[in-house]
Amino acid sequence: MVLETQNLTKQFNGKGGFKEVTLSVEKGQVFGFLGPNGAGKSTFVKTMVGLLHPTSGFAWILGKPIGTVESREKVGFLPENFRYHDWMTGKELLSFHAELYKIKNPGKKIDELLELVKLKGHESKLIKNYSKGMQQRIGIVIALLNDPEIVFLDEPTSALDPVGRIEVREIIKQLKSQGKTVFLNSHLLSEVEMVCDEVAIINHGRIIAEGKLEELLKEHTHVEMIVSDYTSELIEEISRLSKEFQFKEGKLSFKVEDKEKIPIIAKMIIEAGAKLYQLNTQTSSLEDLFINLIGKDEVS
Amino acid sequence: MITIIKYTFKEMLKKRAFLLVSILSLLYLSIYAFGLSRIFEHPSNSIYDIIFQSQILSAGLFFANFIVAFLVLLTSVNAISGEIESGTIYSILSKPIKRYELVLGKFIGLGAMIVIYSSIMFLSVVGLNIFMGSKITFEASNILRGLFFFDLGPIVFLALIIASSSIFSTVNTGIISIMAYGIALVGGVLEQIGAAMQQSQVGAFGLKSGESLINAGILTSLILPTDVIYRKMTAELLTQSSGISFMTQGPFGGMSQPSIYMFIYIFFYVVFLLYYGAKRFSQRDL
Repeated sequence: MVLETQNLTKQFNGKGGFKEVTLSVEKGQVFGFLGPNGAGKSTFVKTMVGLLHPTSGFAWILGKPIGTVESREKVGFLPENFRYHDWMTGKELLSFHAELYKIKNPGKKIDELLELVKLKGHESKLIKNYSKGMQQRIGIVIALLNDPEIVFLDEPTSALDPVGRIEVREIIKQLKSQGKTVFLNSHLLSEVEMVCDEVAIINHGRIIAEGKLEELLKEHTHVEMIVSDYTSELIEEISRLSKEFQFKEGKLSFKVEDKEKIPIIAKMIIEAGAKLYQLNTQTSSLEDLFINLIGKDEVS
Repeated sequence: MITIIKYTFKEMLKKRAFLLVSILSLLYLSIYAFGLSRIFEHPSNSIYDIIFQSQILSAGLFFANFIVAFLVLLTSVNAISGEIESGTIYSILSKPIKRYELVLGKFIGLGAMIVIYSSIMFLSVVGLNIFMGSKITFEASNILRGLFFFDLGPIVFLALIIASSSIFSTVNTGIISIMAYGIALVGGVLEQIGAAMQQSQVGAFGLKSGESLINAGILTSLILPTDVIYRKMTAELLTQSSGISFMTQGPFGGMSQPSIYMFIYIFFYVVFLLYYGAKRFSQRDL
């Protein structure tokens, strides 16, 4: 495991933060950490990179306990509220961070990364003359300077235009292809859906759902069917296998937690001697899942 | 830590406060040089002239010391707290470095620059006096010892500011530092008055009041020993190897000298401040 936590808790005078988070992130995964504003996402990431001290619980990065210098050796981090020394030029800033990582001869790496985030040619400008988007891009360069095993990106596209967002998505995919692990904090669900393998959803500091993205989405497949010549026993049996079941004049509408139930239900209909005219399935988007889970959590 | 030292040094050079204080220093030295040129216009060999000249030198050093303290405060007050308040600290401390390295790196980087600046100020003031024809004979050892103590004061003040900046906000650090410096200054003046009262021996009442003023001065020196170091500097600079002392420098000089115990205290004062500041900073949530 690249990242592992056990009942990790960080609270501020008994409030806020996150509670009893148990997570594990495998090598080479793009892990999405989702939640509404104030859910505890940034607090979690800041705790992982040693900026906050956990209240209780345990966590390891690459097998090293968090808070230690060793645990940060192969870590890259782009903070949510990124701010860099504005009296430095882009090049000075990158050299400074490379020196903090004790990288020898970082020139080539810096050039490569500047090219990657489309900042080549701007490295001699003072950071104070950079736009917010440019500062976020140079933040990405800083996060990748040490060729990290795991990169924590906290809202990495918050200051970027749509083209910039696509570019960051490509960078994330590229990191994944290199076997790097990316921990992505975001509330841009479409972004997460496009790049993440696994997600965890946090609300009020607690994890309310976690797992492989496709598994989570599969659990919420919406099915519509049009049938005729059915019996009331058949309809009752279908309703037992599904959720949010609705039936009106031969039209069935329901959700299944497992896609495998769809052919089973279709087979049941045929074997019961009923006629199946139409079968439509629609997998929920991450947005539907998110709204659904957060909504349920708020009610409970 | 070397990276932090290097970039702290660089940052200070680029700060507007540094430019401002540098201009202010040049202005001060120009005015002081002009003043000296007028004072030394008609030289005589009377003992009063030497006493007067030692007072002029002492006044020059006193205000130079004040300007150095001003620079220390302006450039260091936000050394750590400013990084936290602006958020630049997140990208630094998420790197494989220990937090104490940041505190010590800032202290050494700023300290190096302050020692250079402070030395220039000291040597300029003393140099101007020699150049203008002061009757005080300066030996190299006097100048070197004086320079050491002239530089030590700002370093002690810097330790207090860095420790405070590691624990408190920039505004609070500013308040703490100015108050401590002010208290040390007033305490130092009270101690001098106390010593003067004791020397003039104005009856038993005078002796008692003098003693309590000296004690008040010692107490304030424990809060921030910058004034006591300054007095040691004037003593080292103006006490000749022949035993002759020119330590009659009026309100800017020193009637009473700090003991060796005070310097042992100063050593532990700096070590403790840096240790405590780094420890509290390491425990902080950022």
